Amino acid sequence: MKKKQGSSEKRFQTISLMIMLLITVFCLMPFLLMLAASVTDENVLIREGYKFWPSKVNFGAYKYLWAKRETIFSAYGISIFVTAIGTFVNVALTSLFAYPLSRTDFKYRNFFAFFIFFTILFNGGMTASYIIWTQIFHIKNTVWALLVPNYLLGAFNILLVRNYYTASIPASLLEAAKVDGAKELTIYAKIILPLSKPVIITIALFSGMAYWNDWINGLYYITNTKFYSINVYLNRLMNNITFLKSSSSITEGANLAGLDLPSVGIRMSIAVIAILPVLIIFPMIQAQLIKGVVIGGVKG
Amino acid sequence: MDVINPKENRKRHIRKTSRVNYVPLFLMMLPGILYLLANNYLPMFGIIIAFKKLDYSKGILFSDWCGLDNFEYLFKTRDAFIMIRNTLVYNLIFITLGLVVALSIAIMMTEIGKKKIAKFIQPAICFPNMISIIIVAYLVYAFLGSNGFINNTLLNGNGIKWYSEAKRWPFILVIVNLWKTAGYSSIIYIASISGIDGSLYEAAKLDGASKMQQIRCITLPIIKPMIILMLLLSISKIFNSDFGLFLQVPMNSGMLFSTTQTIDTYVYRSLMELNNIGMSSAASVFQSVIGFVLVMLSNAFVRKFDSDSALF
Repeated sequence: MKKKQGSSEKRFQTISLMIMLLITVFCLMPFLLMLAASVTDENVLIREGYKFWPSKVNFGAYKYLWAKRETIFSAYGISIFVTAIGTFVNVALTSLFAYPLSRTDFKYRNFFAFFIFFTILFNGGMTASYIIWTQIFHIKNTVWALLVPNYLLGAFNILLVRNYYTASIPASLLEAAKVDGAKELTIYAKIILPLSKPVIITIALFSGMAYWNDWINGLYYITNTKFYSINVYLNRLMNNITFLKSSSSITEGANLAGLDLPSVGIRMSIAVIAILPVLIIFPMIQAQLIKGVVIGGVKG
Repeated sequence: MDVINPKENRKRHIRKTSRVNYVPLFLMMLPGILYLLANNYLPMFGIIIAFKKLDYSKGILFSDWCGLDNFEYLFKTRDAFIMIRNTLVYNLIFITLGLVVALSIAIMMTEIGKKKIAKFIQPAICFPNMISIIIVAYLVYAFLGSNGFINNTLLNGNGIKWYSEAKRWPFILVIVNLWKTAGYSSIIYIASISGIDGSLYEAAKLDGASKMQQIRCITLPIIKPMIILMLLLSISKIFNSDFGLFLQVPMNSGMLFSTTQTIDTYVYRSLMELNNIGMSSAASVFQSVIGFVLVMLSNAFVRKFDSDSALF
């Protein structure tokens, strides 16, 4: 009896492992196809299509990208700039906002907590946002368009940090500092910030991901190629292809009427380059990120 | 809500918190308050645009009112029916399938959790959620495009024109969505399963319970509150769709609208491609008002039978 049960446990574990390995392959396979396509010879790609094992390897796509490095690097630069500045400001604003809310002796904290929370419950919708950003703040085709709308400060992050402060920074510590005559800003800079490193890292990761992967602000507010981030650039390439497909049956790889329309392999190599930073950084941050999801997912 | 009248409470307040100077605290919050006013609160008042005939030369406030005209026009079109149906049906499928798959992954992951390879599997299945939907669209195109893997290698060149056959997209979008989100959304269930007291399983084993019985009688009942919370959270967002998934993955193809148009893509298309601010704002306001009602309802519902899981 005992032995039989032990083997059924074992069997369940083996089956689980096999299924999970299959799921892992399923999750990673498309990336391999993309990588393979980016190093496949262009003629082979058009003749035989996308394959996991290219019959003829050619790094021409990457050489082409190197020749056109100004466009790509500029888009890359915009992405890095926006992600760095955006994440920094987001973390600063979030933490500055969260600290007063965590103070039990701050009388208006419930009012401001509601002020934040209400933005989760209700929003004015995309059309109103668009018209306000373009007609009142005039951010269309400026670098502000990539930085400011949507991602600079979020209610979810503020509440996450506030909960962290409430739970892990003892009130007695603040009391002691105040007795010593420390000013609020000194307390914040000398006591709160050093203690909040884990939660700061978590929200910096969330915010950094959001900025790096953003294309929606670019879609709505940017038409000037100067301000294309890497994802916005990829999006425009895709639109050019769709446009051509709908207008006539021109073969892929053509350069028509000044449309930037690189060949299949080149498009895939740009995509590879765009996920490269995520691919490099993600293994390092994933443990922290997963922890953050667990803390934040339960209660906003 | 706790409305505070400073004058009325001043005396008590001074006595009680005489050492607290609020000015630095307010100054710390000021940048954030200004941002939320501009990014979140101003658009709430922007809802009036849906009830106006917007004329940029007159400005938002001074454009003429047109009552419910925009909504009337919107709901007379067939688009309104299609986009609401698509948004709801896709979300229902995503929610149910997503839950089943995420739960199964979580159970299997805890089962193999102690093995070294789990340290690789977990980040690998979360990775699709970390990349932008633009890249996802490129990946899907590599499979479905005219030279794509499926047409060329699997179907031997007897290609299906994926990007012009609307009937195939419900399947494609469901698969893509599962591929992207299932691993990531299992994290929360893995965390709650790993919090279960191990001695429960030991006792069940002694009583001769099989693995399936253990899952049915221990794991699922214990994480039920978490499942319900997650379900209600997603139900409250049932009128919202993943804009990128429905716009980018079908490559904004007009032939696919009947199965890929959702409220979010409609709002975008009528605002940016058709320049129809009236329709766009009507659809967008409809979405946010219904969304608000659903959040309130689902919260009230949760609070009724499990007040700890309620959002507020």
